[in-house]
Amino acid sequence: MADPSGEFGHDYTCREVVELASDYLEGAMTVRQMTAFELHLNFCDGCSTFVDQIRTTAAMALGVTEDRIPDDLKAKLLDAFRDWKRE
Amino acid sequence: MAGIGGDAVLVDRLRAGEERAFDEIAVALYPAMYGVARGYVGARTVAEEVVQEAWLGVLRGLERFEGRSTLRTWILRIVANIARDRAVREARSMPFSALDLDESEPAVEPHRFRGADEPYPGGWRAFPTDWRTLPESRLLASETLELVRGAIGELPESQRLVITLRDVIGCSAEEVCETLAITPGNQRLLLHRARARVRARLERELDG
Repeated sequence: MADPSGEFGHDYTCREVVELASDYLEGAMTVRQMTAFELHLNFCDGCSTFVDQIRTTAAMALGVTEDRIPDDLKAKLLDAFRDWKRE
Repeated sequence: MAGIGGDAVLVDRLRAGEERAFDEIAVALYPAMYGVARGYVGARTVAEEVVQEAWLGVLRGLERFEGRSTLRTWILRIVANIARDRAVREARSMPFSALDLDESEPAVEPHRFRGADEPYPGGWRAFPTDWRTLPESRLLASETLELVRGAIGELPESQRLVITLRDVIGCSAEEVCETLAITPGNQRLLLHRARARVRARLERELDG
């Protein structure tokens, strides 16, 4: 649990941190935001776990597609490529 | 997909009419092209038609490709343009409507946090489970990855489009914005909503 002491300017609550996790992971924060965010993570196991879960979710999504090119479409495209080559 | 230097080589091979190069890129880009098309047009068969039409456009325009964006971004933008036209013709509602960008969709259900009149308002009632303590095989299990795929498939269109390009295909944030003609802020918002929904689905599974 974060201690909302107010000592370091704006302290994020856990509820705010979960909304900002992708901004943080995408490097889209100001230095000030990042400092406050990381300070919160240092004190809050729940939020550092949450940020790790978002990072893990993104990593797990990589390549999870079953969309392979259908054979007939591939054949049609190759025909189109040959036509294009002849022109 | 190849990077910038690789693009120039690939474009040269395509321009030279090298079938193997065409085959490679058609296969490699299909999930991304299909994903973008499907995001706009919905139906599988229509999305496949869009991919086909896009390739005709790519081949016609290949001589004019100047490498100002990556080849992948250029091709995906062609797909997006054709898919958008098609969606308009079929009077289909478009992704990225105001509804899709509803700010009020929280990343985590509000009841998971303490109320304003409790100690530590806005703090977790109970911490989420640390997945780092799970055996790695649990996260990498085919059922778990299948669950991720299913959860992505159930997302609202605009969220599905963004997470597919960014996390599934591995495009950069800039590529996603360029392809879908959205602002960096909206890209991050949709990406975060999407990741948060998939995370919640995983959490239900892994905590269960």
